[in-house]
Amino acid sequence: MGILDAIQTGITELLSHKMRSMLTMLGVIFGVAAVIAMVSIGEGAKQEALDQIKQMGIDVIHVKRASITGELADRAEERSPFGLKSSDARIIKDVCTFARQVVPTREVFADVKAGEKPVSVKIVGTTAGYLDVSKSELQSGRFLRDKDIHDHLAVCVLGAAAKRELFGFDDPMGKMVKANNRLFTVVGLIKPKEVGTAKAFSTMRDLNSDIYIPITVSVTDFNIASQQAIPSDVNMLQRIARKLMSKQSPENASLSEIIIQLDSEDATGPAASIVRSILNRAHRGIRDYEIIIPAELLKQSQATQRIFNIVMAAIAGISLLVGGIGIMNIMLATVTQRTREIGVRRCIGATRWDIVRQFMLEALVITCMGGLIGVVAGIGGAKLISDFAGWRTVVSMQAVIVSFSVSALVGVVFGMYPAVRAAMVDPIEALRYG
Amino acid sequence: MALIEAQDLKKTYKIGTIDVPALKGVSFKIEYGEFVAIMGPSGSGKSTLMNLIGCLDRPTGGKYILDGFDASKLSDAARAEVRNRKIGFVFQSFNLLPKMSAFKNAMLPMMYSTGPKDAKKVREALKSVGLEHRMHHTPMQLSGGEQQRVAVARSLVNDPPVVLGDEPTGNLDSTTGVEIMAIFQHLNNEGKTVIIVTHEPDIAQHAKRILRFRDGLLESDEAVEEQLIAVPKPKD
Repeated sequence: MGILDAIQTGITELLSHKMRSMLTMLGVIFGVAAVIAMVSIGEGAKQEALDQIKQMGIDVIHVKRASITGELADRAEERSPFGLKSSDARIIKDVCTFARQVVPTREVFADVKAGEKPVSVKIVGTTAGYLDVSKSELQSGRFLRDKDIHDHLAVCVLGAAAKRELFGFDDPMGKMVKANNRLFTVVGLIKPKEVGTAKAFSTMRDLNSDIYIPITVSVTDFNIASQQAIPSDVNMLQRIARKLMSKQSPENASLSEIIIQLDSEDATGPAASIVRSILNRAHRGIRDYEIIIPAELLKQSQATQRIFNIVMAAIAGISLLVGGIGIMNIMLATVTQRTREIGVRRCIGATRWDIVRQFMLEALVITCMGGLIGVVAGIGGAKLISDFAGWRTVVSMQAVIVSFSVSALVGVVFGMYPAVRAAMVDPIEALRYG
Repeated sequence: MALIEAQDLKKTYKIGTIDVPALKGVSFKIEYGEFVAIMGPSGSGKSTLMNLIGCLDRPTGGKYILDGFDASKLSDAARAEVRNRKIGFVFQSFNLLPKMSAFKNAMLPMMYSTGPKDAKKVREALKSVGLEHRMHHTPMQLSGGEQQRVAVARSLVNDPPVVLGDEPTGNLDSTTGVEIMAIFQHLNNEGKTVIIVTHEPDIAQHAKRILRFRDGLLESDEAVEEQLIAVPKPKD
């Protein structure tokens, strides 16, 4: 019997038992749909994470201020009272001569108003290199220049969201922004940056609502938006005294973050260990900073993704196994039910192989149809999830191909035994059957 | 050369440890173009002989020569091919596949043969049994007699040298039975060898020769003196 005839026979057989065929297929449908939907979610999360990491840049190291709480707080107060500070940035710059740029930032408390309405924007003091290390682009005007920093000029550059909050659709260039009763002239505007819906990393923040001012101005005129815990009462006076001192000494000015840009992604690992040992010394063993290496995060997220994929494959494997067992069960029942048909076919010249092939193809047709429906359901499911839950999903062609192939394989594997059973039917007995 | 030659044909079934002889050594020849009825009470070994002639089973002793070839020691696959090409089966309970049209049912042996799938031949076979107008009906939509005629058409599509009927009229009323016998006689007149197994004497009378079996042995082998000629009543 030709292969096409056999497939046609299989389809005819399935169509004559629509309900049974559908129930038989369900296992495979759910298995395949689940795999595709879940891989799509995973893929979406991965893309999201990747985008965010890429936005941070993979050729940089971030050193962030970290708060110290509990018992260590007192010791920290004594040994490293200022946390991450300007001198750290300077030392890193001096030692890491291979670094392309070392850019400090200082997020500060400020009361920014547009007219009488207070707006939720963030004032960030930084230097000229920030534009490059933050992978931002200018929409118009210019970014901060070395001269602005050096001369303590009251200029600012607006992020896209900050501009919208403050000026709506007006052109802000040359206008004034009032922060803590000080006026800053708007000299530049930054292009809107894509922000992911789900934050993959706590280190990410929305740069769009930032207003950048020279770091020197932020040191003299504003207090840092510190997350440092308030130390015990005993040290209160001491703390205030030091805070006052820090105003006087720009070397001790607290920083929010130091961004170190390197020549390539590969340099981040070694550079990070150098930076770590520099800071360990400067802070006398107090870990009041956090070193973030986006390239590492990327690797970690890829490793997590791999584990996720393995777990997925296992779940998929189990559901397809269950589906396969269902198919085998039904096929065995079918073989018994169709004993007479097998006998007739054998009588008029079907070989055992013909019978094996017929039943295998029927199983294969079931699983392939189930697989196809599963693929459609899976893609639909992924779409529904992204529509309703707002998660990003990416349907991976690989998942579609692999899960469909596995469903076909399930047909072959679990169709085999019933098919062989069918072929072993003795035609004489079979004709007498039923 | 005879079409069928049985030489001391034996078949013993093993049921547990006991040997049950079903055929104890029978020898006969059937020539091309004969119309033979095989008769005998149940337990006479006629079904066993039928299975051997039809290459559904292998003898445990003796020799079975079909169309010039020794068919007694063929493999399972080779016997399937012999059944496909040399033998047309007609069963008591028709054994059509219920989900297929009459046409598809009649075509089935072609599906398992290496030859061309010739729809024209299928139509001719259905025409020769007078069913070409109902070839797209499924067996459920056909009467018993019509179903059996489809089965006869099926037995003819590969143009085998012999048509083997196992109680072909057993499930039919006598009028319809005679109709089927008329078709067999017609086929025989055109040169086809026809062998039927039956226990109805008047059905056997339509053949030209009767082989009677009893207790696994050939009891008698005689020509029919007054062959009944089946005249099918024209249906409305």
